[in-house]
Amino acid sequence: MINKQINENISLCYIPMTKLKTTTIGVYIHRALDENEVSQNALLPYVLKSGCRKCPDREAIAKYLENLYGASLGAALIKRGDDQIMYFDAETISDKYAPQGEKLVSELLSLMMSVLFEPNITDGAFDADIVNQEKKNAKDRIAAVMNDKRVYASVRCTEEMCKGSAFALSRLGTAEGVDAVTPETLAEHYNKIITSSAVNIFICGDADVDEAEAAIRAYTDKISFTAAQIPKTELFKKDGKVNSVTEKMNVTQGKLSIGFRTGVAPTDNDYPALCVFNSVFGAGTHSKLFNNVREKLSLAYYASSQLERYKGIMIVNAGIEFKNFQTAYDETLRQLEEIKNGNVTDKELESSIIDITNTYEECYDDQRSLQSFYLGELLAGTDYDIEHMKAAIAAVTKEQVIAVARKVELDTVYFLTGEDA
Amino acid sequence: MKLNKQVNKMTGETLLSGVHSSGLGIYIIPKKDYSSSYAIFGTRYGSVDSKFIVPGESEVTEVPDGIAHYLEHKMFDQPDGSNVFDKFSKYGGNANAFTSFNQTAYLFSATANIKENLAALLDYVQSPYFTPESVQKEQGIIGQEIRMYDDNGGWQVFFDFLSCLYHNNPVKKEIAGTVESISHITAELLYKCYNTFYNLSNMAIVVVGNVDPDEILATIEAGIKKNEPFEEEIKKIYPDEPETIAVPYMEKNLSVAQPLFMLGFKDNDTGYGGERLLKKSIEMSILLKMLFGKSSPVYKKLYEEGLISASFAPDYTMQPSYAFSSIEGESRDPKRVYEIILNEIERVRRDGLDEDAFNRIKKVVWGNYIRTQNDVEEYATTFMQLKFMDIDYFDYYDVYKTVTFEDVKKRFDAHFRKELSALSVVNPV
Repeated sequence: MINKQINENISLCYIPMTKLKTTTIGVYIHRALDENEVSQNALLPYVLKSGCRKCPDREAIAKYLENLYGASLGAALIKRGDDQIMYFDAETISDKYAPQGEKLVSELLSLMMSVLFEPNITDGAFDADIVNQEKKNAKDRIAAVMNDKRVYASVRCTEEMCKGSAFALSRLGTAEGVDAVTPETLAEHYNKIITSSAVNIFICGDADVDEAEAAIRAYTDKISFTAAQIPKTELFKKDGKVNSVTEKMNVTQGKLSIGFRTGVAPTDNDYPALCVFNSVFGAGTHSKLFNNVREKLSLAYYASSQLERYKGIMIVNAGIEFKNFQTAYDETLRQLEEIKNGNVTDKELESSIIDITNTYEECYDDQRSLQSFYLGELLAGTDYDIEHMKAAIAAVTKEQVIAVARKVELDTVYFLTGEDA
Repeated sequence: MKLNKQVNKMTGETLLSGVHSSGLGIYIIPKKDYSSSYAIFGTRYGSVDSKFIVPGESEVTEVPDGIAHYLEHKMFDQPDGSNVFDKFSKYGGNANAFTSFNQTAYLFSATANIKENLAALLDYVQSPYFTPESVQKEQGIIGQEIRMYDDNGGWQVFFDFLSCLYHNNPVKKEIAGTVESISHITAELLYKCYNTFYNLSNMAIVVVGNVDPDEILATIEAGIKKNEPFEEEIKKIYPDEPETIAVPYMEKNLSVAQPLFMLGFKDNDTGYGGERLLKKSIEMSILLKMLFGKSSPVYKKLYEEGLISASFAPDYTMQPSYAFSSIEGESRDPKRVYEIILNEIERVRRDGLDEDAFNRIKKVVWGNYIRTQNDVEEYATTFMQLKFMDIDYFDYYDVYKTVTFEDVKKRFDAHFRKELSALSVVNPV
């Protein structure tokens, strides 16, 4: 791994992975979640990838990518703790596999740099048609969250938990916020953030890092930047009673989503134990939720738990019959109590450690996962590598799992049920 | 036994393959330096295979819809009462299984103990154990799986689309069956299906990853329990399917944000597998991207008019016994999208296809082939799926290089016919 600091805000990280036949480039622009700009950020990447100096419109970009043997360039928003990240993901087959010796990685990187630093802004405004098209798409994305009820229930549960704090904001912004954006305000916002945000560029695969650095500098050296940091996330804490929310919708299966506070930050010593606890509890076919809610009681096809690492939140999800709400809820809480009471078998512990270790190991074969791992370390401020994390997980004891389970507190119970249920 | 070794100079990949005396097809693709390995053990048996003649019998067997999928779930119960997942967990394997229209497959990924995981995979898939009680227990779990799909707009729009295209072909039926159909499944019926379709001569195993091929082969050979290949074929019986479509339009209402749609064309040029089918699929992939891809005139029009968003996915699905093209997406006005697509087809029929686009897209298709070899799971899964259609994915280039602009023009004329097209829509409640 080679790190290069391009300037006070932009860093380049090259991770060689030549056993794969592709090279992936990820650009991450960090902004603190803030209701005043969340919707502009949600729109901006899509407007940027609709045209730039190098390729004036979407069609030109599409043809450019096709000529690179179907290279891809995508945009997305990611929420990690209180960080709203504008993410550009690009991938091409590596130069070694270019049938005519083309320099595919350089061509792709220069397109990305043009998209980031040479947008189509004329007279202080983006193209009005493009902004309007992308406003519609941004609102469609917000509305489409309800399409997958499993995800919807989980998002709603988190919103209810963190009501009133920045973390309750959707990475996609709000419909009202998107409506308020104009070609002028978006251009103004772009000019502000592009020079005053922390930006990570990852290249994973087979590239010449010095050449890549020079290619990036060719775009950035003439711009002056204002130093910025990656936004810090505060651990979610709350006192008071459990919040229960039931929502009705025209659905045939109920979705139960239960939110817990873990009280554990990724920098804490018991973070590895929290990961193992989550695995024992609900992450995988070896877990208590799978074996009891699904296998033993036949209540659900899926019943699982997952962590929001930065915020200290754990969410349990299950798809159940409406009438089984209480049974599924009781069983979930009972399984958590089991762990708190020390009922963790050697097999559960071992399987969990092996499963997490596998997930880490698999990052070595997947360029995006590896990027995501290192990005996560930057966000958490821990700066560990995969081998360190594997060792930390392997060292977790049953006692530590039980101790960390005792920190976990029930916060919110959300149930999506039928209209007539 | 000894495996045949092939090396592909263009991709740098190696394939070791052979057929065991039990009839099992064995395919090993070693990937140096990879951390993970992936193995998939599958049978040519899926949701469409509810009517068949067992080799050696003369009578037709007919079983309830959804039984292939039900059988897949029940394979995880073991004669000694043990849990299959426990065995894999012990060796760090991540086990799973899936059932599709034409195959059922059992798989694992692992970063260590590949031999032990592989032995576990071979063992459980060859150890059926069904009792009335265990069969009963699964009704609740699969019932919830079916319910989950009832609320899934993307799934519903897909099956309605298939019901538009097909009068009788069982591909239009839900893979998991219905709550009603699965209530008729018994242990006895499961054994009957198992003993027919899980004969090793109807199966294949593909291992991709950081493995020693000799060790893998030895593990597979040691794990084979029954060496009694069928001498005749399993006769699968499918109903006659007219060339016409069943209905041109279907719609339903679900809790979705905006209308979802799937449109496409029924392909009647079927009845074969092998190189000919691979060539057809490459022609179709190129055509669909030329006509509806992000650089196409029609995509630009639809996008700029706000009729589609990024979710606009052309695709081609093929099997020897059926095939269709499709475009899936979201739109405030699916009927208008459908109309624009049909008009575009007529325009292209008049003005001809764009040869520059052909040349660009042919490159894209090659890039996509190279890309599939990155991921052990994607490669193994695709390899097996195509192997069951008698397609050699390893030597893809031999067929790819023969595809010409003329071929694609001919394919366009044959495939894109308005009277074979249909539209399915899921509207918001």
